[in-house]
Amino acid sequence: MEVAVSHGKIAIIGIGEVPTRIMPERTRWDILYDVCMEAIKDSGLHKNDIEGVITTAPQAQPVIASELSFGKLPEELGLKGCKDNCICNAGGAGTSNCLRLAEQYITSGVAKAVLIPHVTVHSDIPIEDTINFFARAGVDMQWEYPFGSTYNLIMGLMANRFMHESGCTPEEMASVVTALRSWAAKDPNSLFYGKEVPTVEKVLSSSMLNTPLHKRESNMLADGGSAMIVVSAEDAKKMGRPAAYKLGESVRYFSGTPVVRDIRVVQEGLRITAEEALSQAGITKEDINLWNCYLAYPLGHPMMAEMLGVAPKGEGGKYFLDGRMSFGGDIPWSTIGDAPGRGHTGSGVSAATYVETARQLMGKAGERQVKNCRYVYQNTSGGSGFNNIATIWGGQL
Amino acid sequence: MDMTKPIPLTQPWTEAFWEGTKHRKLLIQHCRDCNSNIFYPRKFCPECWSENLDWIQASGKGTVHSFSTAYDMVEPRFMEDLPYTLAYVDLDEGIRMATRIVDCEPEEIEIGKRVEVTFHKLNDDFYLPYFKLI
Repeated sequence: MEVAVSHGKIAIIGIGEVPTRIMPERTRWDILYDVCMEAIKDSGLHKNDIEGVITTAPQAQPVIASELSFGKLPEELGLKGCKDNCICNAGGAGTSNCLRLAEQYITSGVAKAVLIPHVTVHSDIPIEDTINFFARAGVDMQWEYPFGSTYNLIMGLMANRFMHESGCTPEEMASVVTALRSWAAKDPNSLFYGKEVPTVEKVLSSSMLNTPLHKRESNMLADGGSAMIVVSAEDAKKMGRPAAYKLGESVRYFSGTPVVRDIRVVQEGLRITAEEALSQAGITKEDINLWNCYLAYPLGHPMMAEMLGVAPKGEGGKYFLDGRMSFGGDIPWSTIGDAPGRGHTGSGVSAATYVETARQLMGKAGERQVKNCRYVYQNTSGGSGFNNIATIWGGQL
Repeated sequence: MDMTKPIPLTQPWTEAFWEGTKHRKLLIQHCRDCNSNIFYPRKFCPECWSENLDWIQASGKGTVHSFSTAYDMVEPRFMEDLPYTLAYVDLDEGIRMATRIVDCEPEEIEIGKRVEVTFHKLNDDFYLPYFKLI
């Protein structure tokens, strides 16, 4: 099927973010105030210009999720022009759906400017509750959970199979952490900002959580928040401010239950969604300046690199081990370091990845700024990987 | 903190599967109309939406598709089981199920190894189908 070339309907014109940290002293509303006000100020709009609020659903935080669902945020911030409010929940793919719904608000005339915030505070949730939540999220309660399944184990099963089929080595897998943390070390909003970048040897010498996943290949839960302001592409162009224009999108659904999710179907989905999104944007993969991949765990990155055609088949891991995706390498990749580098804020990592996509295209990424960044590929995925949403963003229409 | 092992959250159309495990039988849902073997069991055939569904008894033999052995960071209720190996097993009947590989050292488990079912009593109502190396 031929895909129509998109001219882009929406653009991100403002971003706000608090550093991802462990900060139980900050309430969720404290963080929301900061990120929303920063994003609105960054956009150049007045608070009363915001006509829609669509929040990425916080995970495992029922009180704030309920407050945000039922309309408290516009009232709290005094957004006097707000016409409607809702939240979207698709786990890590939640923010992608916020952006889609923002496009619907904008193109249907509901809103001219939409605020998309996210907040997560893990550090005040009892550790047993967070372990229980992540053991059950995206896992079948009849056919997987009673056997002792966890998120880490699901990723371990996927990684072992990929390593078996591709020949990717433990050293190559561990080097993904080194690459992601090299970006994180330069990111003021990362939990690991300014911290030592672990070597492959250090990653592999950390304790084994579950094969082949070492402790340093897992994620550290943290607190954080971010926000974006979205307007029509036409309005963004008229405003003449730095913006990130959404140029293409494609998605495939795989399965809600990991055991029925075939790795070959996932691989084909990663490949075809990139191809279709690029085609819709009217560009090719050679035009992409930044591969801003969100996979939550490091173990999926070599497979992603191969499916995107960034690395030849069987060499995804080698590319990471050679440092090509690291800070200073020749293939800018996940410049906030994905969840292992940023710190895991639940559904917030993908929100932060969109903020980074906009930041790079706006030329505001500081030390991590990708030179001449014109086009960015970004993906998101929800739950334990039930889908893959590929999007293409550009600095101009 | 609840330390009891979780029991499967069943649906009316999956109860026959668990009844089978109580009698040491591994049952697979089968569509009489399109001849599909179905896992996990559904209310209607996911291939053709037929409700003409039946059960066949699996041989209980299969092959390890993938596995991961847990040493840490599992729910408190599973901590006493560590280390344990979660696996995806491809049954000879063409379906894949999540399970545990038991009765061996974790180092013995490899992708592609042959396994057979063994039933683990959870309580009087539920026996989980685990697998052991052949």
